[in-house]
Amino acid sequence: MEKIQEEYGKISEKYCNHIVQYPPEVSLCAGCTSCEAVCAMVHDGAVSPSLSRIQLERGTVSMIHTIHACMQCRDHPCYSACPKKDKAMCIDEKLGIAYVNQEECVGCRLCVKACPFEPKRIRMNLDKPRPKAIKCDMCRTRPNGPACVEYCQVRCIGKSEDPVPVDDRGRTQGLF
Amino acid sequence: METIYGYAGKIARINLTDSTVTDVPITNYVPKYVGGRSVANRIFWEEVGPEVKAFDPENKLIYMTGPTTATGIPSGGRTVFTGLSPKTLPEQYTWSGMGGWFGSELKFAGYDGLIIEGKAKEPTYIYIEDGKVQFLSAEKLWGQYVHETQEMLEEIHGKDVKSIVIGPAGENLVRFASITTANDNAAAKAGFGAVMGSKNLKAVTVRGRGKIVPADIPKVLELRKTMNNPPMRLNPILNLEGVEAGANVNFKVPGGVKQAQVACCYGCNQHCDRMFLDVKSGTSRKKKNRVEKCVGIFAMDFTENCGWMPNQTFQTEQNHSAPCKTLSGDMEPPDMTDPYAKDLFNWRPADTVNFWKGNYDKGNVMMDLCNQYGIDKWEVTVGLFPWFSMGQKEGVFEGMDFGMPIDVESEEFVRYILDMLVYRKGKYGDILAEGMARAVRILGKEKYGDTIYHGRYSNVIPGKQLDIPICMETAWGEIFHWQGRGYQAAIDITGWLPCSLQLMVSSRDTQTVAHFHSTWDYYLAVKDDPYHNRLVPQAVIECETREDIKDSFTSCEWQAPDHYWPTMECEMFEAATGYPMTLEEMEEMAIRSRLTFRAILIRNYGRDREMEVNAVYPGLTYPDSVGLTADWDDWNDLVDLYYEERGWDKKTGWPTREQYEKYGIKEIADELEAAGKLPG
Repeated sequence: MEKIQEEYGKISEKYCNHIVQYPPEVSLCAGCTSCEAVCAMVHDGAVSPSLSRIQLERGTVSMIHTIHACMQCRDHPCYSACPKKDKAMCIDEKLGIAYVNQEECVGCRLCVKACPFEPKRIRMNLDKPRPKAIKCDMCRTRPNGPACVEYCQVRCIGKSEDPVPVDDRGRTQGLF
Repeated sequence: METIYGYAGKIARINLTDSTVTDVPITNYVPKYVGGRSVANRIFWEEVGPEVKAFDPENKLIYMTGPTTATGIPSGGRTVFTGLSPKTLPEQYTWSGMGGWFGSELKFAGYDGLIIEGKAKEPTYIYIEDGKVQFLSAEKLWGQYVHETQEMLEEIHGKDVKSIVIGPAGENLVRFASITTANDNAAAKAGFGAVMGSKNLKAVTVRGRGKIVPADIPKVLELRKTMNNPPMRLNPILNLEGVEAGANVNFKVPGGVKQAQVACCYGCNQHCDRMFLDVKSGTSRKKKNRVEKCVGIFAMDFTENCGWMPNQTFQTEQNHSAPCKTLSGDMEPPDMTDPYAKDLFNWRPADTVNFWKGNYDKGNVMMDLCNQYGIDKWEVTVGLFPWFSMGQKEGVFEGMDFGMPIDVESEEFVRYILDMLVYRKGKYGDILAEGMARAVRILGKEKYGDTIYHGRYSNVIPGKQLDIPICMETAWGEIFHWQGRGYQAAIDITGWLPCSLQLMVSSRDTQTVAHFHSTWDYYLAVKDDPYHNRLVPQAVIECETREDIKDSFTSCEWQAPDHYWPTMECEMFEAATGYPMTLEEMEEMAIRSRLTFRAILIRNYGRDREMEVNAVYPGLTYPDSVGLTADWDDWNDLVDLYYEERGWDKKTGWPTREQYEKYGIKEIADELEAAGKLPG
């Protein structure tokens, strides 16, 4: 556990503060998909996996699930690729992360292509008349911070620069 | 286009005979029936008559979500199947709930539900993608286990699809075959897997890229934090010395046990399922992860039955907790300042039954095989193998050759029997595939069902022997559940009597979506004479109303009802749909759904008082954990009170025209009257 604690809670040279999934020794993802549901709700006023900036890759049989969210690269390849940078893809000076201004996005998908990760951490919102890029913005305007973290009932996700949470509640065994 | 809040807007009518799809507007049923089981009841009432049998193409498998499904409201991921069940005895219309992520994906694909009718010529599966329905060949899937089928569908259609599938048991029309989705969530109790099999339907796979719009997102977010005070705690994989599942299933395992908790459906804010990691597989896989709620734990060790603490059933304002928390260990510590706390938390020990000793590997193999074949764990764990255990001890199987010596302690025997029945191998495979209730009748009920097992002992009155038949059958072909006998027998008469009433007017075990709950005040008022106290049927009716609410809106048995927050589902509904609903309106809808269900049973299956009192009573003549049995006159007195409280005719058990009209379904009364099924 000490090794795990050393891996988190640090400032990375490559990535800004981003959403991380902790190893199962800390907390196993329960698979509830609350993170996806609240993400789409707070950003788009609807519930849809296609609108969620965070993606849960479900282990249907294994029941071991993987969370994918934007790594918030410090060199912002998505921002660099945007033909309307600073209008469509913008930089939050305080957080250092790239975010999308959907009103200006032309749906060219160059940011998606530029994302170095698989699955791509930028997706297209096909719910609009014209597709718009969507990516995790760390809920930059929410006073409580990332909604996915706030509503994760097992606290299996957190912010990379925050220390690993500790089990402050404990529990007893179930009845049967 | 105007936004529809909460609903997707339509149901897909899928005809397998002619491969056609028709969209049915949800507004054909909403708002009179809000969703889930209530809508399914209405569809079945309108479309399936008494002449249809469970495996006929004319039987319809109806699958419904609710208005809270896919809205992010906790527990809205619950969904329900209904149809004519091959499992119930006799075949009757019934339901089977399911969690998972399929229902929400279906709504994202544009549908609130499915009406599956007809029969495909060849093995088929249905693929639904964003409102487009395809009928595809299941040739390569047919014969595959459940998990392999799920994985093959993900290989074909991508990781993001969600599926409901059947295993070999459903294909072979095993009457207790399940329908399974992710996390081994299954609709298992009604044998609907065999209905899918009878229709040559292996699976339904769905991919939805659309959205569901909740009307009031701040309220949804508030509910996420207030519904049953979510634990919001870490969920580390625990390394335990053995199985530690309460007082009754507790044994050391060489090498230990890895365990964590998982959620059972879309967007839940709790994690009631217990997951065992790296366990022995029943098939060729080396290791598996597996989830259990309650009964599957007893596959591992069935030396004692399940004990009971009154606070599982009765609550005070100071001490009430959602059932899901009793499973996950997240219950708040008892508030001992409650004057009733000592009694509420007074553990009533389980009976000793000595069916089989603790064996982690054998239990995991048994349950994994149930998952893989797609059969009901309940029937296997509480019905089939206890029957073998008890029957062998009482010598009823002497001279019978099952092809292998009976040994319920042996993993090989478990594998052999399950393989035999799932593939209907030989005479006994074919018989056991019919389910316990039918199997013992084929073999001869007097000997193979009613022979008394002499190895059940009370631990409330130590040493007291309690007779129980080797087939622990109660009404409608079900196995006892919270009825003072059989499984979860430790509950006392203030609990098992209302549970029996609930079963009487149902068509299957109700203690899955309608666990009997009431207040401690109820307990104090009825404990001295529960047969002659109106509070008993009143509490039953309240639970039944809540059952229809849960399965219609939808919410979860393990989170609801909260007796001290009765409007919780009203708030969920308004947050999802934008329509305010009072408690009275919600209950009115639920009773309308209940009356529709009852009308189906009356019209299609001849349900009346005589049928139902006689279905339940024989089981109550066996002793409970302290030796109590029911008296015929007392039982009938209680049934009188129930019908009176319902406003139904006491002689026939049929609701009156006034009842149907009061709840706005005069047309149902008219049809029943034409069929001679209204009280005179």
